[in-house]
Amino acid sequence: MGSIFKKKEANIILVMIVLSILISLRSEAYFSVENFIDIFKSNTVLAILSMGMLMAIITGGIDVSIAATTVAVTVITGKLMVNFDMNIVTVIITAAVCGIILGAINGFFISKFRIPPIVVTLGTLSIYRGLTLFFTNGRWITNIPLWFQDFGDIKPLGLPIQLYFLLGVALLSHIILNYTILGRGIYAIGGNPEATNRVGFKKERIELFIYSYIGFVSGIAAVVHSSIVKMVDPGALSGFEMEVVAAVVLGGANILGGEGSVGGALLGVLMLGIINNGLILARIPTYWQQIIVGFIILAAVSFDVLQRKRIERSMLKIDVE
Amino acid sequence: MKKYKHLFIVFIAIFILLSLLSPSRFLSLNNLQTMLAQVPEFGIITLGMMIVILTGGINLSITSASAFSGIMAASFLVKYGHSDFNIFLIILATVIIAILAAIFTGVLNGTIIAYIGVTPIIVTLGTKILLEGICIRFTKGGGISNYPEEFFYLGSGTIFGIPVPFVIFALIVIFLYILLEKTSWGTKVYFIGSNETAANFSGINVRKIKMQVYIISSILSAAAAIIMMSRYNSVKANLGSSYLLQSIAASVLGGTNIAGGKGSVFGTVIAIGIIQIISSGLNILNVNRFITDSIMGLILIVVLLINSFQNNHQLSSLFSFRKKVGS
Repeated sequence: MGSIFKKKEANIILVMIVLSILISLRSEAYFSVENFIDIFKSNTVLAILSMGMLMAIITGGIDVSIAATTVAVTVITGKLMVNFDMNIVTVIITAAVCGIILGAINGFFISKFRIPPIVVTLGTLSIYRGLTLFFTNGRWITNIPLWFQDFGDIKPLGLPIQLYFLLGVALLSHIILNYTILGRGIYAIGGNPEATNRVGFKKERIELFIYSYIGFVSGIAAVVHSSIVKMVDPGALSGFEMEVVAAVVLGGANILGGEGSVGGALLGVLMLGIINNGLILARIPTYWQQIIVGFIILAAVSFDVLQRKRIERSMLKIDVE
Repeated sequence: MKKYKHLFIVFIAIFILLSLLSPSRFLSLNNLQTMLAQVPEFGIITLGMMIVILTGGINLSITSASAFSGIMAASFLVKYGHSDFNIFLIILATVIIAILAAIFTGVLNGTIIAYIGVTPIIVTLGTKILLEGICIRFTKGGGISNYPEEFFYLGSGTIFGIPVPFVIFALIVIFLYILLEKTSWGTKVYFIGSNETAANFSGINVRKIKMQVYIISSILSAAAAIIMMSRYNSVKANLGSSYLLQSIAASVLGGTNIAGGKGSVFGTVIAIGIIQIISSGLNILNVNRFITDSIMGLILIVVLLINSFQNNHQLSSLFSFRKKVGS
């Protein structure tokens, strides 16, 4: 199995290199350190959220309320920041706690009542978004305190502060998935739920953890999002959940569960980032981004499935012989 | 009829409640006609979603396919609609073009899902993004409007006081009911949804039927596109996009099992009716529309909780039976 992962990730990198070469033929600004930092910075929210979505998808679930949760947290922290004396630590803590609560609500319904994740999160998507828009009346919060605006511009060691948040979340996710029993359980649920139970993993607890973790990740993404745009728009990120799913799937996670890695998901995000950024630099009309992204998703997954079928068939032959 | 008894009671209860809360406006002829005119576009898209969910799939590209069909049809209609040709032939050709565009998107989804074997949710997510790009390419981000006068009949006309879109919706409901619940083709669709492997081994051409299901889903989205075009006198790349997640919610609310194999046309229709009267009713009662969204989400979760309790009840009774046998 390990070799298939590596092969898949190698394929993604190959596609990215080809794309990069094509783009750099039309734009000299493309191949520069600044530009790549820019690509990373403008996609940190997508990348952070993909770390949470990855876990849901590995277990064969999905969370379509992820963007609504993020926006709800940006509004809560935004309001608190404006009305109370806060600092960056308390902002991050409240964001994380609010996110975990919203995520745990999903986790509760999914794990306790066995309602399919897509349906539960569809429901909470409308609830969270509706409440967010109701309480703010759709109005933007533009008077974000200066200290928070300045925080968004800090560049420790020359890298935007947002990247450190991404690094933290990515490391945490990687450790959970690869070096803990919990992580083994997450892969096991996606691979074979029934066997998971027999081995002694508690499926309910693992699912509750995953959706709470997605909430936590959304809280962090909310802080990062506010620090980049420096205001709060309650109607922001509408439909963004699909982009997150696309990034994770492009990065090689299998939507049926059991497969996926942090590195792969980050590559998927990078690929979307390169396409968006590169096409703008190459002065190609923006609708081509979507056409190319859609085409790559369809081609990549079709190729992947066909290849897997061929491997299965050849294994079958060996069995027969 | 027993299957939809609960849903039907909920529908009647909400209807009576809203009638009591605001008798002068909710029960007015004007409001009833508005509701009948609004149901079809959402209803037809929901039925297109439901038929795919029956096979255990999902169609995230349904509203983008709708926009694609609409834009293809609108481009033709705007170009030739004001010429000297017979206007009825032009409108007929417009509808045919919408259907051809739908067949294209349906075959695209169907080929990759049924013949290559990729999971529906990823494929339709990919085609959704692809089609959105193509739609923006054609509309340049704006809308295509200015249709000939006669075309508005499809969206705003009435037959004996009943809005034309509703007549189209009713015909589609009857057609789908017969197709799914009275023909062997329909039985096969349910069979594939409940156990694809078994269906395959029983000699059912699973691939062909799945392909047909995705084509029908796209054609239904094209029908919704024609109605929306005519009602709004404009098509944009995001035509009907707000119906995407709502249509999944309505299907599930109507008793369709998200894993496939279970669900009925009438159950879905009642769920569509419930959603319509709630949103119109809350609107009449001056409830904030954002709160209306939240209430819809809450209803979805509550209905599934009730379903979940019922299933657990059946399960526990099954277990207690086993215990009795054991003792």
